[in-house]
Amino acid sequence: MNDITKKLYEAVIEGEEDIALEVAQKSIDSGMDPLTTIKEGIQAAMDEMGERFEEGEAFLPELMLAGDAATCAMDLLLEKIKADGGDSSDAGTVVLGVMSGDHHDIGKNLVKAILSANSFKVIDLGIDVGVKKFIETAKQVKADIIACSTLITTSLPYQKELIDTLAAMGIRNQYKVILGGGPVTPQWTKTITADGYSNTASECVVLCKQLIAQETAGGEADPIIIGAIS
Amino acid sequence: MKQKPDLIEILRRSREGEYCSAHDWDLKKIPKGVKSMIKKYGLANSVDKDNPVNMDMDLADTFYKAGYELALELGMLNEARDRIVKIDQDELDSTLHLAPSELKIGFGQDQRVMRSRTPSDPTPMLFGSSLGITISEDVWPLLTEGIARQLEVDILEGGSLCTINGLDALPNDPSETLLCYEQGRMHRQIRKKAGREGMPGIGNISAVTEFGQFCYGTKGNFYNTDLSLILYPSEMKINNQTLHKVVHTLAMDGMIFAGSPGMIGGMPGTPEGAVISSIAASLLQYAILFASVGGGELYDIRYLSNVNREGLWALSMTHQALSRNTHLITHGIANQVSGPGTKELLYETLAGVAVIAASGAAFSTGPRSAGGKLNDYLSPLDCRWCAEVAHAASGMALSDVNELVKQVLPKFESTIKSPNIGKPVQEVWDLKNFRPLPEAEAVYDQVRKEAVEFGLPL
Repeated sequence: MNDITKKLYEAVIEGEEDIALEVAQKSIDSGMDPLTTIKEGIQAAMDEMGERFEEGEAFLPELMLAGDAATCAMDLLLEKIKADGGDSSDAGTVVLGVMSGDHHDIGKNLVKAILSANSFKVIDLGIDVGVKKFIETAKQVKADIIACSTLITTSLPYQKELIDTLAAMGIRNQYKVILGGGPVTPQWTKTITADGYSNTASECVVLCKQLIAQETAGGEADPIIIGAIS
Repeated sequence: MKQKPDLIEILRRSREGEYCSAHDWDLKKIPKGVKSMIKKYGLANSVDKDNPVNMDMDLADTFYKAGYELALELGMLNEARDRIVKIDQDELDSTLHLAPSELKIGFGQDQRVMRSRTPSDPTPMLFGSSLGITISEDVWPLLTEGIARQLEVDILEGGSLCTINGLDALPNDPSETLLCYEQGRMHRQIRKKAGREGMPGIGNISAVTEFGQFCYGTKGNFYNTDLSLILYPSEMKINNQTLHKVVHTLAMDGMIFAGSPGMIGGMPGTPEGAVISSIAASLLQYAILFASVGGGELYDIRYLSNVNREGLWALSMTHQALSRNTHLITHGIANQVSGPGTKELLYETLAGVAVIAASGAAFSTGPRSAGGKLNDYLSPLDCRWCAEVAHAASGMALSDVNELVKQVLPKFESTIKSPNIGKPVQEVWDLKNFRPLPEAEAVYDQVRKEAVEFGLPL
């Protein structure tokens, strides 16, 4: 790690968006390889924040601020890669939201921070999101994955309605649908023929990577279950 | 001295208060506000994992001061409009002065008097069962009656219903309104059938949105002598659903039971931060949400529970702080993770409920068996156990509860992150005859005996 990537690493850890952006620009101006900057300055910092969160040494605001700083620096570096004719594609596009009726956003925010730091483009629809909004946005941004969570049991049927509506519209195979949230279980995931479930935000990254790498279309394969409760 | 703001004034502030985006509120205002209080009052690293029950009353009073100051500094955000509802010191003092210290709930011979308590107060902490664990439609009436028949349980809440005549009841959908009316009607009938017609109730756990709350105080549904449950989305944040429920409950001359847990690992960060934010939210909900009851809930998002050492410590500190410095009728929840029929669930209850009771909370609800995640994972026997612990631990010295918790914790703390989910109600409880099945009863008998040996005066 050189001075610049070290500064970027520190800016991401501290959640300093302006400094992260400034240092990312400096790395571009000094002719550094943007991919190396991303790996050493951004991803390493987010890995560190993830570990600190797991160990109880960092908390949600720090993680989210780090995620914001990582995202804005990453966007700049990806632009540079694209301008140079390189492959600037992100890891995939995820439309993320909390189902209608539910206003709990802590888990969703965690997922957003961690996916963003792992090169996924995340469209965050927020809380209390209706089925139509999920689908309209997924179509608009050509999403790879629709990630819907809920902490409220009575909002679970909306996850089923989302999948049923995609099927009724004839576009189920265009999206991988993944589930999260307190009352969501592997059994529920299978019952409603979703494509995946993860128990924690960090496991969601693994899940999304596996789904993107899958050759089958949405709804075709058995769901991938990661970190399930028994 | 200025008086407590009236409803119109609160609604005005919820529309016209200072603008703040939810992003800035969550990531800047709350964390910075909490950190500044921790620094100002020297509260960093005060959590004591070796002694999960706080015994330093000066420290509890200092936490109260920090929470009180945070309440005045922040107020609550109405996330529907990104506006801050602020309360000034005179208004808050007036609110706390006017808050009830005693509340009659239910009616007739089944009525209960909920009283403000202090740490180690011999006045029994009341207990209500259960929490919003989802229950199948065909099981719900008999299971709820089974809970109502547990005479130790003071208040009947009952689990959540998710379907009505087989139709999913969805939030923001007319099916939610219909289901809640039906649930309110059945709730009354069940109490009568159990021989406890005037038993106080809590309505309505299935009402996610304001539409479901119409079943409170209206003809044939939840009585206005029951508590009207109004949960807000997270500590220091309200929304229009919350305010709709407040307006409706006040129109029904009802009693508002408000709450939302301070989150360890969430926006306030450390256990110390969560205690401060929980105290602040507890105080503000009396001014902004016209609460009669509630406040003092905590949750550790890293464990999806609060019966871990830091969670228990935070519960003890919050309730000691509130009960020593106010006459509010506060409420605490032990968030268990193990399921029905397991020893671990009973141990988790013993530790969590004993801490809440001895620390001065006025009442508690539970259990959250199997973490509240699984359909039908709720047993009236576990409700009875919660209530027995609540009543028995109420007069205990904090040092005795600390010793009790230290003996019980090693029996379950290693399984909190991978809990034994136990069995659904049908496998631990005879629904038709309202009694536990032998295997579950034997587990209960054994843990009950151990609890006495640990010092619980049953």
